[in-house]
Amino acid sequence: MSAEIITAHNVTKVFGGLTAVDEIDLVVKEKTIHSIIGPNGAGKTTFFNCLSGYYTPENGEVFYCGQSIRGRGTHEIATLGILRTYQNIRLFSSLTAIENVMVGLHHSLHETWIDAVLHTRRYQKDEKHALIEASHWLDFVGLIGCADAVAGSLPYGAQRRLEIARALAGKPRVLLLDEPTAGMNPQETLEMTALIRQMRDDFGITIILIEHDMHVVMEISDFISVLDFGKKIAEGIPSEIQSNARVIEAYLGPGGAALAQKFKRKTRK
Amino acid sequence: MKKTYFQPIQIGFIFGAVNVFLVLIGFNAMVASLLAKALGEQVLTALPPFPYLAAFTILLGLWCGIAAARKSSRARIAGNVLAGWLSGLAAGSVTFVFCVGIGWLLSNKIDIRNYLTVLSFDFINGVLMGLPPLVGALANLGILAAAGAVGGLLYGFIQSSKVKQINQPILALTCSTTEKLKRLDHGRRRLAFQILGVAIAGAVVIFLPLNWGSYWNYVAGTVGLYVILGLGLNLIVGLSGQLVLGYIAFFAIGAYTMALLNSPLPYNLMWGFWPALVLGVIFAALAGLLLGLPLMRLRGDYLAIVTLGFGEIIRILLKSDVLTDFSGGPRGIQNISGPTLFGRPFNSDIDFMYLIAISVALAAFVYNRLQHSRPGRAWLSIREDETAARACGVNTTRYKLLALALGAAFAGLAGAIYASRNQFTGPEEHSLMASINVLSLIIVGGLGNIPGTILGAFALKGLPEILREFSNYRLLTFGALLVVMMLSRPEGLIPSKRPKYKTPQEADGRNAEEKNVS
Repeated sequence: MSAEIITAHNVTKVFGGLTAVDEIDLVVKEKTIHSIIGPNGAGKTTFFNCLSGYYTPENGEVFYCGQSIRGRGTHEIATLGILRTYQNIRLFSSLTAIENVMVGLHHSLHETWIDAVLHTRRYQKDEKHALIEASHWLDFVGLIGCADAVAGSLPYGAQRRLEIARALAGKPRVLLLDEPTAGMNPQETLEMTALIRQMRDDFGITIILIEHDMHVVMEISDFISVLDFGKKIAEGIPSEIQSNARVIEAYLGPGGAALAQKFKRKTRK
Repeated sequence: MKKTYFQPIQIGFIFGAVNVFLVLIGFNAMVASLLAKALGEQVLTALPPFPYLAAFTILLGLWCGIAAARKSSRARIAGNVLAGWLSGLAAGSVTFVFCVGIGWLLSNKIDIRNYLTVLSFDFINGVLMGLPPLVGALANLGILAAAGAVGGLLYGFIQSSKVKQINQPILALTCSTTEKLKRLDHGRRRLAFQILGVAIAGAVVIFLPLNWGSYWNYVAGTVGLYVILGLGLNLIVGLSGQLVLGYIAFFAIGAYTMALLNSPLPYNLMWGFWPALVLGVIFAALAGLLLGLPLMRLRGDYLAIVTLGFGEIIRILLKSDVLTDFSGGPRGIQNISGPTLFGRPFNSDIDFMYLIAISVALAAFVYNRLQHSRPGRAWLSIREDETAARACGVNTTRYKLLALALGAAFAGLAGAIYASRNQFTGPEEHSLMASINVLSLIIVGGLGNIPGTILGAFALKGLPEILREFSNYRLLTFGALLVVMMLSRPEGLIPSKRPKYKTPQEADGRNAEEKNVS
């Protein structure tokens, strides 16, 4: 039904002697929520960094809408429509919330420094546009009330949402979310889950998600890929992954599958 | 009980000790002569007349009283006066002991200037206000106690007027104007302040240089040039967050462009001031771009060290014998001709003051407009987190280069004017110390904002000139200033504030409220 938007082919990234990402093939379909899970150190974030252009893979190729993104700078890839958030929040912490989002709008504005100095028409138009758009995105994530608050002073959950607003301002077609619910309480997690769904349903954004909270993953994912030690070990819809022996082993260790079976039977009794 | 008596006395002792220290380093004489000068009195000797020395003591006593009253936080005025008086008394008793001591030295003619250089007999006599030792010491005690009490009274008075809103005419007037100002909405209030500020600044700039005399115009001009330099460096360090240490090299490029194009030696080109000014700015900007290209991969400390090297390379190149024919070598370039305007020479100190004032205004204008724009936000985002900025689609390389080129252009402008004004430029004017001066002025003033830069330039370049007579204390004051700064205002004298944006939702909300009211 839907087209492939991102195709990773044979992607390999090596740090010294460690192969962090090992010949990963991955296909992400448009307008889906695609989760990438795996134990710590499985190479999930490294794979994200390859997608967003922060790392150039030693081997393999990432295609976005059929085009290779090899050799393009991070900012170019962002301009193309692949945007991301970070595991450890990376806001511009001494700027206000609305300014953060305005930076996110950077590539949809056109004013140059000469426009800014002379206050040309283009400057006026762009600034007005920026203000309206930025307020819109702040409103979307429920932060319009603290538009002028300094980003670093916002509570943790709000900072996460602000980071998403900043990414949304860049008009993403693909949004990479790196552990968006890390450190959140159950209520905040619920809100974040709803927000992620809304982004897919209302704006048709493809979401690639790294997440450790299995409730969240199983609930919202359309498709799940599992990494372990840099390799893709399983792939499928949530129910398939839940019963996949290799996945359980990766999380629980060798013999984990049998253990899980036992546990399941016990709880059933 | 303890708070009532003990604390004011404690504060008094501290002030007493500070007073003794200040007298021992001769600071009281310095303040007293400043006061005397401010009131138009000629101070010919090192020691100003006694009343001014007493005035210093009174001021200190007042401060002591106010501090004590504030700490004790008494509701009634009498309590404040008591606190002030007690602290004054305590400070006075410390001073009393000190005065008796130096009075004893004076009466026995014991000279200890080998150990405490300021304590000449004249000076001791001045501290005792020409009175016999014991009487003079008592007078000091009395002055401090009385001033402390008055300070407490003043504080109590201010406090009670604040609480009760006493309907004094002047107070009422200020209250009503602030109320009125509060009622004006934010944008209009800001505009009103801006217009007022520009009007005052304009009046000062137009009328003051005519009455200043050439020395003060020269000093003010230097401050102005440093403001331009500070703004340029602020673009690079304060906005885009690249710690560039050899900034003065761009200043040197501007200065040498002006010099080479407008002096009889070595080329006798004589292109005139204005084309050279424009070229100086352009060359400096190009140098910024060229320097920037290899720098783009460096961050933080590495960037600082490489740019430091660049600054030194430029200075040493200008100084080297190999390039003497080209750049005048260590002797520099002399007889740089001044500007002309409509065929009339435009090179007095007053003329230059106007030129510099206009340049400062231009620089501040450009800086201000850049700050609140797409490039400005891009710079700030690079300063905050370069990786995240790039992930937001900001072409960090391009914006870092742009910041370097524009910042360098500011320095080129300042350098060209500087060379033309001094009619001379040499390699030693562009030493590392000058770069560090500019950097410290923007850090002291407050990184990234215009008022901070202006204040910093005054503090670092203006004050030393004003206090030239007291150059002995310059480093002392400087050190003290830096320590106090780092403790009390680590973000600079005027920390940067983020602008407030009026979001459309807010505007809607306000309109809705207004409708509800009506």
